[in-house]
Amino acid sequence: MADDAAGVRVELTIPAQPAYVSVARLAILGIASRMPFTYDEVEDIRLAVGEACTHAIARVQAADGAHPNVRIVCTVEPRRLQIEVIDDAPATEAPEAAPEASPFDEAQLGGVLIRILMDEVEQRTDPETGAHVLRMVKHLLR
Amino acid sequence: MTLKVEADRDVPSSDTVIIRVEGEVDVYTSPRLKQEIMDELAAGRTRLIVDLNAVEYLDSTALGVLIGGLKRARERGGDLQLICDNVRILRIFEITGLTRIFQIYRSRSEALAPAT
Repeated sequence: MADDAAGVRVELTIPAQPAYVSVARLAILGIASRMPFTYDEVEDIRLAVGEACTHAIARVQAADGAHPNVRIVCTVEPRRLQIEVIDDAPATEAPEAAPEASPFDEAQLGGVLIRILMDEVEQRTDPETGAHVLRMVKHLLR
Repeated sequence: MTLKVEADRDVPSSDTVIIRVEGEVDVYTSPRLKQEIMDELAAGRTRLIVDLNAVEYLDSTALGVLIGGLKRARERGGDLQLICDNVRILRIFEITGLTRIFQIYRSRSEALAPAT
């Protein structure tokens, strides 16, 4: 794997089942550890990816499991690591956090963790495929 | 991926239990911790002390289980407290604001020390 300026892509597809979140975490641990991130930064990335996969699996399961995979697409660049967690579950009408939800609601805590641990976080729907994409970036600060 | 959950009832008070957790607590394994918490509450123990010192990884699902246990324990006049001296795990409680709602001890002896 040559880390050139254009970035190197590493893709992993996991079944949208809780048992496989640990597989995604292990993979991202391997990728982030190849970059000069600190131990704490690698742990931050691992936790954020775990949360993102958990969220994607919940979306797929809420959509009756018709789209049974979650894709994790990592782009390794010289000064940053981008990770996209992609699922094909259709967008739901309901907001992700119900107004009456406790501030310590589990789903909200996952979102809070991702936003704090990563430098850039963005959610979007791919206009071509309709897939839900959670894009996260961690920058190398040194 | 392993998770070990073990109840230690060798404590001075019969309403207290230490639940020792070892390994990774995530969306897949946290139902086991939840079941242990529910079992202890059903058995009449209202002071649950969850020992996280051997936990290597913990996510928002685990936090949700602990918060749920805390609510149920308090409904019964009890509490759910934590033992944790792992800086990495403590940081997750700090950034989510949960250090404000959980009593967190550094060690078993600190957790079981008589109130002064």
